[in-house]
Formats: sequence, C-alpha cells, structure tokens
Amino acid sequence: MKITDACVYPFPAGDSSVSRLALEARSCGYDSIVAVDTPAAETCGIVVITGIFLSGIPAKDVQNRAKKSRGTGAVVSVQMGDNGFNRAVAGTTGVHILRGIGAADKRAFDHVAARIAADNTTALDIDLSPLIFGRGHLRQKTIHRYLDLMVLHRRFEFPLTLSSSARSVLGLRAVREVAGLCSLFGMDETDVEAALAGVGRVTDNGEAAVKVIQ
Amino acid sequence: MSVRPPTLREKRRYLLARIDPAGTMPDAKDLYYAVYEAVVSLFGDMAAAAMQPSVLAVEEGYVILRCRRGAEREFAIALSTLSACRDIPVALRVRAVSGTIESLRERIATFAPQESPVVGQDSIPADEGTYGTPQYQFGSTPVEVVLLHGHKVDVLEKGFKNTRRLFLTTEDLEIIHATTISDGL
Repeated sequence: MKITDACVYPFPAGDSSVSRLALEARSCGYDSIVAVDTPAAETCGIVVITGIFLSGIPAKDVQNRAKKSRGTGAVVSVQMGDNGFNRAVAGTTGVHILRGIGAADKRAFDHVAARIAADNTTALDIDLSPLIFGRGHLRQKTIHRYLDLMVLHRRFEFPLTLSSSARSVLGLRAVREVAGLCSLFGMDETDVEAALAGVGRVTDNGEAAVKVIQ
Repeated sequence: MSVRPPTLREKRRYLLARIDPAGTMPDAKDLYYAVYEAVVSLFGDMAAAAMQPSVLAVEEGYVILRCRRGAEREFAIALSTLSACRDIPVALRVRAVSGTIESLRERIATFAPQESPVVGQDSIPADEGTYGTPQYQFGSTPVEVVLLHGHKVDVLEKGFKNTRRLFLTTEDLEIIHATTISDGL
C-alpha cells in the first residue's frame, strides 16, 4: 500500500524542486507524491507521479483531455464546479480525482454525485492547505464541507485522497500531522490510511473480479 | 504565594519541535504569539486556556514548547497549522514529547549533529579545475547558496526583484564556470 500525497506543486509553480519535495516527503513518511505538470520519475526513494490538474474548462473538454491522458500513468484531477458539472465529471472514465470541495458550493456534491463517484471509482480529494493556511471563515467553511463529505463517504464509500497542495517544502505535513488534522472532521486512523492509499486505488487498472475464459 | 507541593502542581508535557526552514531563528516571544494565535484560531479561547500553550526556549534550530498534560495531541495539531512567524514562513515539526525539559535537551544533542545545517556555499564541493568561488545556477537562474543541509540546499535567486528563497537539492544546481575565458579575448 502506497502512502501518497495527492497533489504538490513543484518549481516553477512553487519554490521547491521536485527532488527536494521528494526528499522532504520521504522524511514526512510518504512513499509517493503526485506532482502537477512534472514527468514521472523515482527520486530520493520516492515515486513521483505525473499530475494533470484541469480547472475552469467545460465537461466536454474534460472528457477529451481525460481520453488523451489515458494510458500515460498520469493522475487526472479536476476542479469541482456546480452540481451538474460534478456529476458529469465524476462519471467520466479517466478522471481520477475531484478536487476543491472545500471551496465549492454546499450543493455542489450531493448524494447522486456521490453514488456516481463510487460507481466510477472517482476519488474526492481532501485538501489540507485551507486547514493549515486558512483562518476564520475560510477554515470553518472547509471543515464543514469535509464533515459533510465524510457523511456521504460513509454512506456510499467512494474513494478519498489526501493532499497538502504544497507549493513549498514548508507546506508539507508529516503523516502523523495529517492524521491529527483529519481528526478535526471525524476521520479516524483507518480512514486516513485508506485515504493516503486512495491514489493507488483510483489509478489501479481495475481488472474485473470475474474473468470469463472460453 | 508559597510554592505548591508536587502532588498539587499541574502536570505538564513538553514538546520538542524542529524549526523549518533550517537556519531560521525566530525570537521566542514572536514564536509564542504565533503559536498562541494558531491554538486560539483553531480551538478557541476556552481550549487555549485549558491547554496553556507556552514557548520555553529556542535553541539550535529547535523550540521547546509546553502544554498541560492530556492536551499534547491537540497542541500538536495546532502547531501543524502554524505557517508563519512575523510574516516569515516557518513550519514546526514536532519531534518528541516528554515530561521533562532535560530529556528534550538530550534529544536535541542527539538530533543536532545529524541535522545541523552549514551556512554559506563554501561547503559544496566544487568541480576540479574551477577557480575562485563557484557560481551556481538553477535552470537558467543564477542563485546564491545560503544554506547547505546534507543533500538539501537553500538558495536565493539573484536579482533586484526576484530574490525569493528556493528549496533545492545538490543535484538541481549547476556550476557556472565564471573564470572561463570567452573566445573573443
């Protein structure tokens, strides 16, 4: 089981190189990271997975981009939008993660979208950066969204991922600290372990449980 | 007021946290305000009063913090939300929790030789045949090494405007051969 940070932004989006982020991630207890717009590699004992982050484009374009990136080994994440968009994207093959529920509208992700995400094995990302860097209303809203997300997760059991969205090594948090932060919205250690392994679950090719041999 | 007997005193726990980035030495008072703000903003005044967070000492890149016994988990969570001290980006990585300050000082003594950073660029081994102080670049950007810490290198971008701190490794840096004579001379 891999322990993965589902989104980091290395240089030039951030101020740390991929290898430095990998080095720090290793000391924080991770064994893989998803680095946005970075070629896949293995550095400093950490597996760096290419991340593609799609934001502000219509669902049709998301489908096209997801189709193009199929088979490349990249993790495709999409920024959440309104409810219709989220339902469409959650059911799109090739989209692995929906991100940004903390900033989304409270009706953006409902039970129907949750069921679609569970059926399609699309993960919902829990971004820890609003908890670390946010204060006041922003953080309260984010915690409220995550509490709501956990209710849907327990009911429909769609995958979860955890990300620091670190643009610097200073934004990375150790696995123990992540578990502490996640306890703020009711995740226990088992949930945290499953969420840290969530990237592996959604990128798994998913061979059929039953194979018909003629 | 007389000192209470040991059985009536409040039990406390002491936390040892590493200050990142290495080489940053914030003032203990500034760090106390930052820690207190992190606790109050996350858990509120009631929890902060019960937790009694405090900064005892900043030494050798580590900070020793104090809280009431039983609140150390919440205190560590609050510390993980600390991201700046007086507008300087810092992160506190909790390394140990103990019942005595003395044992944490012993821990610092064991951690410090492994993790002590070296300030300046003289410690980076330069290539043979390079004369003078080596100049480094990251990509196409000339940089100045400010701190070396094992494979980790912290640099500053050279320039008038863009002088942000970059966090790299020794593999990311290239040496500029400043003493190479160009063909025109």
